[in-house]
Amino acid sequence: MNEVMIDIRNLSKWFGDFKVLSNVNETVKKGQTIVLCGPSGSGKSTLLRCVNGLEPFQEGEVVVDGTSLTDPQTNLNQLRQKIGMVFQRFELYPHMTAKQNITLAPRKVRNMSQKAADNKASELLKRIGIPEKADDYPANLSGGQQQRVAIARALAMEPKAMLFDEPTSALDPEMIKEVLDVMIALAKEGMTMVCVTHEMGFAREVADEIIFMDEGEIVERGTYEDFFKNPQSERAKDFLEHIL
Amino acid sequence: MFFDYHVIIENLPYLLQGLVVTFKLAGLALAGGIFFGMLVGLGRISQRNLIYYPVSAFVNFLRNIPLIIIIFWVYFILPIMVGRNIDPFLAAALAFIIFESTYFGEIFRAGYQSISKDMVGSAYATGLTYWQVARYVTIPIAFRRMLPSLITQSIITFQDTSLAFVIGLHEFVTRANVVNNLEYRSIEIYSFVAVVFLILCYIGSRISLHFETKYRKANVL
Amino acid sequence: MKKFSPGFAGAEPNSKEACMAFNYNFDWSILWSDPYGMWIIQGIGYTLLIGACAWVIAFLLGVLIGTMRVSNLRILRFLATLYTEVFRNIPFLVQLFFWYYAVPMLFGPLTPIINKISNLNLYVAIVGLGLYTASRVAEHVRAGYASISRDQYQAALSTGMSQVQMYRYIIIPYCLRLIIPPITTEFLTIFKNTSIAMVISVSETTFMTYQIDAETFHGFEATTAAMVIYFFIGMSVVKLMDLVEAKFRIPGLSGRGG
Repeated sequence: MNEVMIDIRNLSKWFGDFKVLSNVNETVKKGQTIVLCGPSGSGKSTLLRCVNGLEPFQEGEVVVDGTSLTDPQTNLNQLRQKIGMVFQRFELYPHMTAKQNITLAPRKVRNMSQKAADNKASELLKRIGIPEKADDYPANLSGGQQQRVAIARALAMEPKAMLFDEPTSALDPEMIKEVLDVMIALAKEGMTMVCVTHEMGFAREVADEIIFMDEGEIVERGTYEDFFKNPQSERAKDFLEHIL
Repeated sequence: MFFDYHVIIENLPYLLQGLVVTFKLAGLALAGGIFFGMLVGLGRISQRNLIYYPVSAFVNFLRNIPLIIIIFWVYFILPIMVGRNIDPFLAAALAFIIFESTYFGEIFRAGYQSISKDMVGSAYATGLTYWQVARYVTIPIAFRRMLPSLITQSIITFQDTSLAFVIGLHEFVTRANVVNNLEYRSIEIYSFVAVVFLILCYIGSRISLHFETKYRKANVL
Repeated sequence: MKKFSPGFAGAEPNSKEACMAFNYNFDWSILWSDPYGMWIIQGIGYTLLIGACAWVIAFLLGVLIGTMRVSNLRILRFLATLYTEVFRNIPFLVQLFFWYYAVPMLFGPLTPIINKISNLNLYVAIVGLGLYTASRVAEHVRAGYASISRDQYQAALSTGMSQVQMYRYIIIPYCLRLIIPPITTEFLTIFKNTSIAMVISVSETTFMTYQIDAETFHGFEATTAAMVIYFFIGMSVVKLMDLVEAKFRIPGLSGRGG
């Protein structure tokens, strides 16, 4: 339980002249659940995308499960098999069924047989609670169902860590719970997770650490109680006033 | 007013052969236009200035020029370049390919750009490589989105082939003119031409609408 | 069957060009020498005239038909749809031939009189182009109405306005601003389509290009000049529409409706 899964050191990123991430340092141990929060534009989503190499960065280092992202020898595609990611707008492939969405990567990247992949998909769909929707297209699924399929799609590659970018922000209120339930179950099973979210109920239940970011920097970090009962910085206090 | 449909029936073989030429020309124009259109579209979203600026200049210049002028220009310049006489069919085909590639290029550009960054990102996040993402995600989705526009533009291309008339190419409309010059039954002849186009193009537009509705329902559009 | 010839003044391009192809002497001076220079100027004048007049017809008729397409009256919708489908699916060239050759023949005994009207081809070109382009404008107008959210319509009606008032004061002004980009394209296209009037011998730019080639066999130079001319006309149209758009712009209203 003490191995480091994700190690971020002195990470800085610019979009042209604009510095979007400033000297970010963070260590995520195996099995931990980290919640990232902060005002919009603070760089939280960008940080997430730097961890699995979807966004390049100019300074610093990111090491995932022992592999450094900046090492020229690193094969990013292989690295991404180890990290799953779930997006705010689900991003299911609209031209494929739920089952096909889940089995695409295992079949094409791990060369799994159709049968083995289908079995895996059925198992995952059962785990997220909608086995009957296997042959439905995303258009016929509710937002909550789509997001759960997106989680299953990420889990199909048996990742060692999962990144969540505001997974419930695009959902109608009555569907938020079903997605959070899946995420909470995942956290309790020991998955290493980094979640950008405003769902404080989720944070209270499973977060090992809350990180508050503003304008590209980590301003404050602590446990749920520390952060909410006793915010240290002005910016954190300001933010909490606005969301509570 | 006496509508003498016999004039159409007597000349039908001659006219229909012209329609065959029209289809051949349209087919070539579409094949070339779509192929080069894909390249033009890619060029228009290129990050490399060396590709983006020339391609954009090409597209923006050509979109101001009437098709007839392009047909003439190709028709005049080709013999000069090649050094001998040029078959009007070839000149027309080349002119159409150049012209239509700009329009298809814009359709492809819109198609490429319509795939959100996160959609592509979510595919990469599962470990798929560049070519796998292109093949299983980007291209199938973009194609479905572009299909209605591609069909509509194809119909326009088909209509545009009638302009090959100006360099004397013996396609459908040209032959109708020939028959008109002989028989002077203009009403019958041009009504016939109009109806043929009306039917063919209307069918085409309904096919395009079918795909648009189908993909819109599937939330692909 | 004897070989087809375009039928208007000028030699068959093929046979004469064959000789020129092997040792082509470029002669750009023909573009400004008498009388060809004047021909080009005249051609530009007619291009602009036809385009502008046809556009007036196209715009007014197009807005009317586009509005009819969304009317509550089934008969109006049907007529508008019929018009649009007919004029969009038949190539403009064929429409032009129809108006110029076929329609006069409908007048029976009056036909010879009609065919002798001076500048008949010019009037036919303007009206024909106007009618054709109107069908395209109508489509853009219809799309514009569709992209305005239903809530907008309902908000207007809920203040007690009648349908007509709603359209007149709210929907139509909003719609017209929304469709400025596609309308700009249509305006551009109408000037390009004036070139098709050459087939009925209207003295616009493209026809003059062809005439110059017929007399001097320097079609390449003439066509290149025509390309430059059309390019500048196009640029001017876009600039003009930019000014129109700026004048009627509403802050915060982007081109995307709904």
